[in-house]
Parts: sequence; structure tokens; C-alpha cells
Amino acid sequence: MLGYYLRLAVKSLRRTPGLTALMVGAIACGIAACIVTLTVHHAMGRNPIWWKNNVLYAVTMDSWDPRRPYDPDRPTVAPSQLTYLDATYLYGSDIPQRKTLLAFVQGALAGAPGQSAPVWAMTRITTAGFFHMFDVPFEYGGPWSAAADQGPQPVIVLSHRENQRLYDGRNSVGRTILWNHLRFRIVGVLAHWDPRPRFYDLTGGGSGDFGGSARAFVPFRWGSMLHLFPIGSMSCWVAPGAPPLQTYRDLLASNCVWITMWVELPTAARRERFLDFVNAYWAQQHAAGRFQRPRNNHLWKVSQWLRLHRIVSNSSRLLLRIAFAFLAVCLINTVGILLAKFLRAAPLAGVRRALGARRGEIFAQHLVEVAVLALSGAILGLLLGIAGLAGVRALYAHSYSAYGKVAHFDLIGIAWALALAGVSTLLAGLYPAWRVGRTSPARYLKSQ
Amino acid sequence: MLRMQDISKIYRTDLIETHALRALSLEVRDGEFVAVSGPSGSGKTTFLNIAGLLETFDSGTYELDGRDVSRLSDDARSRIRNEKIGFIFQSFNLIPDLDIFDNVDVPLRYRRMKSPERRKRIESSLELVGLAARMKHLPAQLSGGQQQRVAIARAIAGDPALILADEPTGNLDSLMARQIMDLLEKINAMGTTVILVTHDPELARRAERNIHIVDGVVLDAPAQTPASQRQTAAHAPRAAE
Amino acid sequence: MSLNLRPLLSALRRNPTGALLVTLQVSITLAVLVNAAWVVHQRIMRIEQPTGINTRDTFVLQISGSSNQFNAAAAESEDLAYLRGLPGIVSATVSDGVPLTGDGGNTGVWIEPGQQGQVTLTSELGMDQDGLKTLGVRLIAGRNFRADEIQPYVPGKQAPASEAIVTESLAHALFPHGNALGKTIYSSEPRTIIGISRDFMGPQLGQPTERTIIYPRLPGQGGYYDLLVRTQPGKRDALLRLARKHIAAAHRYGVVVDARTFAQNNRRRDSGNRNVAILLALVTALMLAVCCLGIFGLTTFNVGSRTRQIGTHRALGARRRDVVSRFLVENALILTAGAVLGSVLALLIGNWLTLHYAVPRLNMAYLAAGIVTLVAVGELAAWQPARRAARIAPSVATRTV
Repeated sequence: MLGYYLRLAVKSLRRTPGLTALMVGAIACGIAACIVTLTVHHAMGRNPIWWKNNVLYAVTMDSWDPRRPYDPDRPTVAPSQLTYLDATYLYGSDIPQRKTLLAFVQGALAGAPGQSAPVWAMTRITTAGFFHMFDVPFEYGGPWSAAADQGPQPVIVLSHRENQRLYDGRNSVGRTILWNHLRFRIVGVLAHWDPRPRFYDLTGGGSGDFGGSARAFVPFRWGSMLHLFPIGSMSCWVAPGAPPLQTYRDLLASNCVWITMWVELPTAARRERFLDFVNAYWAQQHAAGRFQRPRNNHLWKVSQWLRLHRIVSNSSRLLLRIAFAFLAVCLINTVGILLAKFLRAAPLAGVRRALGARRGEIFAQHLVEVAVLALSGAILGLLLGIAGLAGVRALYAHSYSAYGKVAHFDLIGIAWALALAGVSTLLAGLYPAWRVGRTSPARYLKSQ
Repeated sequence: MLRMQDISKIYRTDLIETHALRALSLEVRDGEFVAVSGPSGSGKTTFLNIAGLLETFDSGTYELDGRDVSRLSDDARSRIRNEKIGFIFQSFNLIPDLDIFDNVDVPLRYRRMKSPERRKRIESSLELVGLAARMKHLPAQLSGGQQQRVAIARAIAGDPALILADEPTGNLDSLMARQIMDLLEKINAMGTTVILVTHDPELARRAERNIHIVDGVVLDAPAQTPASQRQTAAHAPRAAE
Repeated sequence: MSLNLRPLLSALRRNPTGALLVTLQVSITLAVLVNAAWVVHQRIMRIEQPTGINTRDTFVLQISGSSNQFNAAAAESEDLAYLRGLPGIVSATVSDGVPLTGDGGNTGVWIEPGQQGQVTLTSELGMDQDGLKTLGVRLIAGRNFRADEIQPYVPGKQAPASEAIVTESLAHALFPHGNALGKTIYSSEPRTIIGISRDFMGPQLGQPTERTIIYPRLPGQGGYYDLLVRTQPGKRDALLRLARKHIAAAHRYGVVVDARTFAQNNRRRDSGNRNVAILLALVTALMLAVCCLGIFGLTTFNVGSRTRQIGTHRALGARRRDVVSRFLVENALILTAGAVLGSVLALLIGNWLTLHYAVPRLNMAYLAAGIVTLVAVGELAAWQPARRAARIAPSVATRTV
């Protein structure tokens, strides 16, 4: 029977090509608008490491100025980074299964074969835990050892792109490269890895969250070894009468927050123990005169961390809502046209009823027609959506805003599109199909 | 074949009630050819719609082919229409974007028949109405008389026990009308009961029995013709059922 | 032409669902149209907000040391000397932040010592006496820095500067009632306001971006500095290429991280607003189009299903104009209903936007303009099928279909 209905549906749709084009076009436009905004919205808001959501925690402590909150708009929220003093102390704990510290420094890479001038490469100083905790994939080699963190040993991990640029993508593990004029041994090259949003480091305002990622990674202690000032986000407050910050040593002893800290705590018990550890440190420092703000030590899951940083922009949310309003208009439009079309063809449904079709059969026949429309709309909408995403990417190519950078189509997008088109159009067709299904068999037979 | 007892039907709108049928009683025997006539607005069409299970009625009982069909569900009535009743309308009511073959196919589809069986039935019924050569034509490509013959083929393809024809010649000239009547008689002769609604006395005269409906009641039952009396004894189940 | 509404309403009653659906479409479209136009207007206002900076003849080179052996103090004076010696350069300065980019610091400023009382947050920018000239920002009160007031960068021994120039906005924020000139303000150390400049957009992109405090200070502390350069008209791009090439080769331990014109920076700055405006306008326009197609479809359907009735009217003496106006009035009724419902919806959405997205209260002129637009476009959509109805021949009435 389905085949029969399909044949009838195609016949019916071809009988009114203008209306059919209008409906398919309207559905497709609505779907495309939703695909574009949903894909971007979803990509902005998603948790790129959901499978470790319950074990990874970002650590924050409120070390800020006792007289005013870090963020006047959200006075109860502590800075999202730590001071050098606090970060290095907390890092000393062996309660977490893994732990890591993150900051950015400047880096110049030189000495690759055929390279004439040093290239600037934003470098992340971090610890080996980073690669393990965030499941960072390697193309060649692997993370440095824990011993390399202690030394620190001159070992470096290159990003996929940087290895492409300097070594044409060949295996460079074991080679020596000049990092800030010092000889470093390449121990690993990342596979393409660019989680969006960059959940592990959400500092850096508009450009940071989704912006350029690090090109090279070296052990964290190289920052202080070489007195490299951090170049990422850094916020400082100076107590009245305190001398201004001048040297690198001043920085390490200062109130400036510039280090992001993550710990991996596989069980609730460990989590409690680590929080106790942080609280104990807080109490000790508080007694010594630091931490004069209310105690606000916090361990954030990745999902909470993303929410805290308000990764999904208002514009994105606004556009999403408008896209859905647009889809609603398109669907109401489709309901109207379908209703008109079906009711005009109601006499034929009456004939079929007289010839023995049940209400359900008439309903099914028209619903199949709607389904054909929905499928066509979905496919066209998908194509339009892909084009739309390319358009959004082009539009945002030179923008600080993250909106366009995540506008990539994925399987989830396709699934969304099909589900959205299917469900919404079928819903739209339900009423017209039901109306025509209720056609009284006697009504239209006489007068035509 | 068909027994109606005190059937009443009232159409209600906001303003008026129209008594379309007032306690109409009627019996039609198996294999009869009955003509129903009456002035416009007398309730002929209502009678036909009720007889064909296209409409429900307010009171009374209706027995079709030995079964009480007064209070059936919509689906059950659809099923009976599909299996036991063939309709022929004044305005043919072919489906314009289906070709002749597909038009005759419609009731068979709703009976969930297998494809070879459907093909066989469609071909033989089109053969009967003399249009087997036009299977791939669209209704608009045929003359009115031909279209009505397609409608007849569609009505008999499902091998119904009862044919209901509503002014089947109303839109046709007299030559065509005669052909259609010939066909109906031929079908009747093969054992199918035919009820013909018409206001044309000449056509009505060709039926075995004439029934007049005036103001929603059967006015009188004229003397039955010998032919129908002959058949009253033949109550044996139809072979095709 | 006489308009009798009763038959019109009865016609609407015959296909009430169709009319209702169009009413719904119209109302949603109106509500979104009006609010989207309002939001777009806000965004465009932000885009068109003047930067206060010469973005035509200016570029920036960002230099970063690649080692702690990098002598930023020496490198920056070398670079400045080189740039100032280049023909075609109007002025050049070295700074610790770049306006319009978000690259730079901010600080709290108090008007009482000891960080007491109200704090005012502001962008900060360290530059020398050529800074304002390079950016094309004029002083409106007081004076510029003198060369001897500029604190050079000396690692570990930098003395705090005691002068500052503030923008008009910052001056007003700090001293709403009086002349800020000559007053002392406090952040980490006390400073005297020696000049007030016209407003310009500072390094920090958060609002209010016009509040900036300028110190007579050379950067270099973090091992990096920014060279801001203003050229004679038309020479910007050539000089940018030349300067980048020279400076990239000039320092053993320094790298040119970025070289960009201020025009590029400005485009990047406002692209977020511009793009949101473009996307909003696009979706809204599509929505309006779909809505019109809906009206077109419904009218076409009504015309089609009333062919005989129209023919009868024509046979009874209705003129073509009467037929056209009949459909247009019918459509106008639907549009009016949609406009009423849509206005309520628009106000609700406007309220909600004000509450949650800090969009200013909806301007009623936008609502009025939206209604006029939608009714006009909606009538236009119905016009073509209505004219087709008028062409129906009176003889249709007598023909049997």
C-alpha cells in the first residue's frame, strides 16, 4: 500500500508544481536557517570532552582584592585563573590522579631545515598531565615524561600545523629545534586537535575561547626558568602602598592571576579529599593575611566551566530563536497551503471513500504526500544549510567573534536537519491530512 | 438483498430541520433491477446515500445482504462499500490524474488484492464495457459515454452484490444513455442487483420494478413484474461471494 | 464602490483555518520583523560609532622578544628611530596596547588616595609624546606630554610616571561636576591629569570603550611592544611592507608577531555586530518573503475555489475593480487581524529582549513602520491573484464544469 500511496503522492505533487515548489522551498529555507543556527549554537555550547565530564575539574580560589570582587557583575565568582604561588602549591598535591597547569608564553622557533628566519609560535607552557588528561591525540611520538616536567628538560611538542609548516608534516620526533634560541628535542607531534570550544582554557576574551590554539608545548617550568612573561590573559590587583610590579620575580610573588589549573579526580572521595586540601591551604594562607575575601574554593566540571564562562553568546541565542520563529512561519505557511490543496482535492477523497477507502487510508495517503514533501524539504534544506554555513564562515572569516569559526557541518547537524524536517513537517501535515481524512464520502459525489 | 425498515433521516442546520426520509421502508431482493424515481428534493439521493452506506440515518433498521448494517463503525461501512457495493455517479467521478487502468484499480487497492488478481479483474471488467484498448488513456481523453463506461467497469471490478447508479445517464445524450442502460442490464443479467435512481420515466420503465419516493417516503409499490416474481425464490447465496 | 463587509466575513468563515493561518504568519512575521529591525538598528549604531582614531593612514607592528636576552628598551628606541627617519611617515610611537583590538590592559582609577571610594574601570595605554598625534586624537584641554616626562623602560628600576592624559569620557566619569584638569587621580600610584583628549576607542573592547587613561611610559616589561605608525595619505601599505621587512631582520632576539593596518583592526572589531546585523536582516527578509508567498497562496486558492461565484458576480454586473477590491479588502482584514496580534507579540518580544539582552525599549516608530510595510507588501502579494480573479469571464457562471 505504501508504494501505491507514494505513487499517488508524486502524482499529486506534480499536478501542482508551483505549490509544491513553494512548500518545499519554504520548508527548506526554514530548515536551513535552523540548521545553520543550531549547528553553530550546538558547537559553541557542546562539551568537547563529555566522556570525562565527571573526572576533570578546573580549580579556582578567590585570591582577589578584599575591597572589590574580581567581576563586579558577578561578585560571587572567583577569578578563573590562579596566582603563581597558589598554582604551584596546589600542583604539589598528590591527591589528584593527574594534574596540570596552563599558561601562554611567547616562542620563536628556528633551526628547522631550510628555515631562514625564526617564526613566532604561541607556546603553551604546561605539564605532561595536559596530554593525558585531555586525551590529546598524537601523530608522532607522545607526551614528555613526568621527569621532564621536573628538570625541566628541553623537550617540545609541536602542533600538527606547526609540524606541517616546519617539517612538511614529516615525522620530526627526535629532531632538535631552537625554541627561543635554546636547543629543544621534539618528543611529539600532535594529530589534528582543535576542540571547540577550547574548554581547557577559556580566558582571553573574545578571541581566546575559539581562537588560535598553541603551536608548541614545553614543560611549564621553562616559563620561570627563562623569565618569560605570560602573554595570555593576566589580571592583577595591587594593594595600596605595595610597590608596582616590575620584574619577573615580582610577577611570581604577585597577586596576578594567570595560570589555569586542572585536576583529574576519578572518585567522589578523591574529590572531597582534594577540596579539603585546597580548603586547608586557604585557611593557612588566610591566617597569614592573604585571601581576605570570603572563602570561595571551587572545583568545576567541564560542563559547569563552560556555563560559567558563558560560552554561548547572546547573539547566537537570539539568532537561534529567530530561526525557529522563521521555521514556524514556514511551517504555518505549509499547513495553510497543504490544507487548501487537500481540501480542494477533497471530492476525490470522497470518491475514494465511496469506493471503500477507510478514513485511515485516506489519512495515510495524504500523510505519505506530506512525508514526500518533508523529505524533499529536508534534503534541499540540508544543501541550503551547508551553503549557509559556508556563508557564515565566510562572513566571520576575519572576525574576533567565535560565531563563524565553529560553523562546521557534522553528522549531528545532518541528524538534526532530518529530524527537524521530518517531525516538523509531519506535524504540519497532520492536521490537513486529518481534515481530508474526515471527508464525508457522500458530500462531494453529487455536485461537481 | 436489501431491507430497510422505517428509515428516517433529518438534516439539521442552525435554522431549519429537513426531513429527508420519513420512516421509509423498502425491500429489494437478490438479482432485482429496481428503478427509484421521484421529483427533485424527494429524498432519492438521501436514500441512495444510505443504501450505499455513505451516510448514516437517525432511526430505523437497514439489513444488507442478510446483515444488519444500521449501526456499524465507519471502517466497517467502508469495508462493505468496498466489497459489496459498486457506485455509478451522474458525473462519473473518475480521478482525473489516474489513467483508466488505475481508476478501475482504486477499489481493488483498498481490498488489498494481489497484483495479478487485480490486473485480471481490471482487464476483464474493461473488456466487458468495451474499453480494454484504452487502458492507458486519461479520463479527459475519453468522451462522456466512455467515461461512464469506465465508471461502470470500476463499479463491477470488485464483483459487488449491489450496483447503485445515481442518474448514470444524466450527463449523456440519448444514444450513449441507451448504451449505458444496456450495460447495466447485462450486469444485472449476470446476477448483480441493480438500483437505479433516475427521474427519466423512459429509463425507469426498463427496470423490473419501479419505486417512487415522494417527500421521503415510498409512495406506492407498483405491481411487480413477472420477472422479479420469478426470481424471488432464488435466495441461494451468490456464487461469486 | 460599495463595501459590504458581511459577505466578506462569510467568505472568511468558509475557510477560517486558512485565514487564521495567514493571520498567525503575519503576526509572527511582524513581531520578528519589528524587533529584528530594531536590533539591527542598534548594531548599526554601534558599527557607525566613530572610533575617534585615524584608521586610514595608520598601521601597527607587534614585536615580541624570543628570549630573555631580548633588550626591549634598546630595540624599541632603535625601531622608533628607524621609523621616524623613513620618508612618508607622519609620526610613530611605541605603546603597550593597541586600540580597537582588545590587546592591552585595564585598571581601576580612584579620585581618593588609598583606593578608597568609588572605582572607575578604564583601559590603559602607555605611549610617548607622539602617541596622540599618531592616532589622530586631538587634545581638548591641557597639554601633551613633554619628551622629558616619558619614563623609559628600565628592567627592574622603572619609576612611576606622575602625569596622565585622560579621555573626555573618563574625565567626565571621574569628575562629573568639575574640570578634571590638574586633579590628582589614584591607581597604583597618584597621577596628575595634565590633558584631556577627545574620545577614542581604547584597547579594551568591553563597554564603555571610550574610557582610556594614557601614561607617558614606554613599554617593554613583558618583552614585547607595539609600534603605532601614521603615514602620509596613500603611503600606508607600502610603508607597512617596508617597515615589517626591515624590523623582522633588525633584532636577533625579536620577532614581528603581527603587522596590520588599523583599518583591518577596525573591520575585525565591528564585524561581530555587522555580521549579526546581516544575518538578522537576511532571516527577516526571508521570513517576509515566505509570509507573502503564504498570502499569495491563500488568495490564489480562494480565487480558484470561487471561480463560479466570481463569474456569477460578474454576470450580475460586478466590475473588474469590484472583484479586485473585494479580494484586497478580504486580505486587508486578515492583515489587520495579523497586525493587531503581531503588535501585541512584538511588544512582548521587545519587552523580553529589553529584559534579557539589554536591547533598548522598542521604538514605537519601528512598530508603526513594520505594520505599514507588512500591510503594503501583503496587499501587493494578494494583488496578482486578485487581478486574475477579475479576469474571470462572466460566462463561467453558466457553464457546467
